[in-house]
Amino acid sequence: MKHLKAINSKAHKVNEALKNDELDEVMAMQSPVGCTATTDPGWEVDMFGSVSGLCQPMEADLYGCSDPCWWPAQVPDMMNTYPDWSKNADSATKDWRNLDSVYPEEKE
Amino acid sequence: MNSNFYHTLFLSSIALLLTGCQSLNTKEQTTTPTVKVSEKEFLITITRPNTTLHLIDLQTNKVIRQCDLAAGPGPGTLVMSPDNSIAYILTNHFSDIYGVNIDNCDVVFSTQQSTDNIRVKSIASIAISPDGKEVYTHQNRVKMMNDHYEILPPQIAAFNTSAGLNVKASRTFDAPRQVATMDTLESGGLIMGGQDIFLMDMNSGKYEVILPSLNDEQPGYSAKDVLTVWQMGKVNNEYYRMYSRAKYNGKEGDLTNADYIWGHEIVNLKTGKAEAKDFGPLESVLFTSIRRPGQLNRVYGTLNDLKEYDSTTQKLIHSIDLPHTYYCINFSHDGSKIYLSGALDSIAVYDADTFDKLAHIKLTGDGSMSTSIIFKRQG
Repeated sequence: MKHLKAINSKAHKVNEALKNDELDEVMAMQSPVGCTATTDPGWEVDMFGSVSGLCQPMEADLYGCSDPCWWPAQVPDMMNTYPDWSKNADSATKDWRNLDSVYPEEKE
Repeated sequence: MNSNFYHTLFLSSIALLLTGCQSLNTKEQTTTPTVKVSEKEFLITITRPNTTLHLIDLQTNKVIRQCDLAAGPGPGTLVMSPDNSIAYILTNHFSDIYGVNIDNCDVVFSTQQSTDNIRVKSIASIAISPDGKEVYTHQNRVKMMNDHYEILPPQIAAFNTSAGLNVKASRTFDAPRQVATMDTLESGGLIMGGQDIFLMDMNSGKYEVILPSLNDEQPGYSAKDVLTVWQMGKVNNEYYRMYSRAKYNGKEGDLTNADYIWGHEIVNLKTGKAEAKDFGPLESVLFTSIRRPGQLNRVYGTLNDLKEYDSTTQKLIHSIDLPHTYYCINFSHDGSKIYLSGALDSIAVYDADTFDKLAHIKLTGDGSMSTSIIFKRQG
């Protein structure tokens, strides 16, 4: 951390945690708890670096990834920020044309 | 074999008793009516649109009732009342619970867990007390302020199931973080599947680790990795979840030369006995597995394949490709049929011995990550 300087409150809290030796409280993600920000493979390659372990077809896994905010970089987070993303697409295989990209809304 | 089993046993006993009485009294009461107590097997699951409950008669493999709730989807985690008349559904983006009478679709219970600026999410964590009087959730709570979020301590909340609609928690207890699936022992304790498996006394709120998981430091193995939002052990009256881990060949921590294996963590809901056991090689991804009723050393798992393992020898003994991904595997009570569900819009029925496909039950919408429950009751 000696080459990095904290400039916002979150970064200051990371510094405080380092000083207080509290990092042991941060545990590996063993159970899903939503919005995992995981770097595990899953949509691009499976756990073996191949594709046969990916859900087939991808629509079978689409809502399983958006409902629990499991892959928030790949599909919208329906648990928190875009709960109505699938409202015109009850069936992912049949109604996928109604699923749009999402963009952050401007705050007033 | 949970309360359903005892319900079955009770009804069967009455039937036997009545049959016995009838035969004993045949000469004197030739007009005594025959009492037939027949039970049928049903499967219940959830799909989009909104939150749609499907009740399926497993004798005919037909959907006999659909209940459409005006609630947002996800995850569709279910528990049944002890008499199998009310389905309690965790839904609407992991937030709300609805209790639905499966005979007429009446909503008899509801709770919206989030209040004011406290957002509450339960990650597939719902359970019901053995007497059916309380539903429990594990609550991940966040206070949402204008400029920041404040994470509040997680807790177990108990809701009175007879309190009607828009019920507030009657009791709460501090709880460990990262809890997903839950269940209750027949004696009333609450099992929580988190970093380890915990048991909470629902009178005092005290909890303890009954099976270390992430903190299981068995020499020669990596830490266990668990991904589960499906409690698939009900048909065997057990809390059940699957794990993966590496078994080192030689040097501790050498993942390059390690073998990867599947295992399961089990809590017997009658006795409370908890155990973990490896059951086979990890050669492809599985999302759920289940032990075969009557042959508990046979373990069946699914995602893109249907696989059978012998946990005694820890060998894979049967595997077929599936037409599409299924998240969720379940069994008939006699162990003869496998039911795959929980993704897209169908349930596939397979013969557990031959892996021949027996039926394809069409649903509506999309199963997302809902669970399925198989239960018996009078048809």
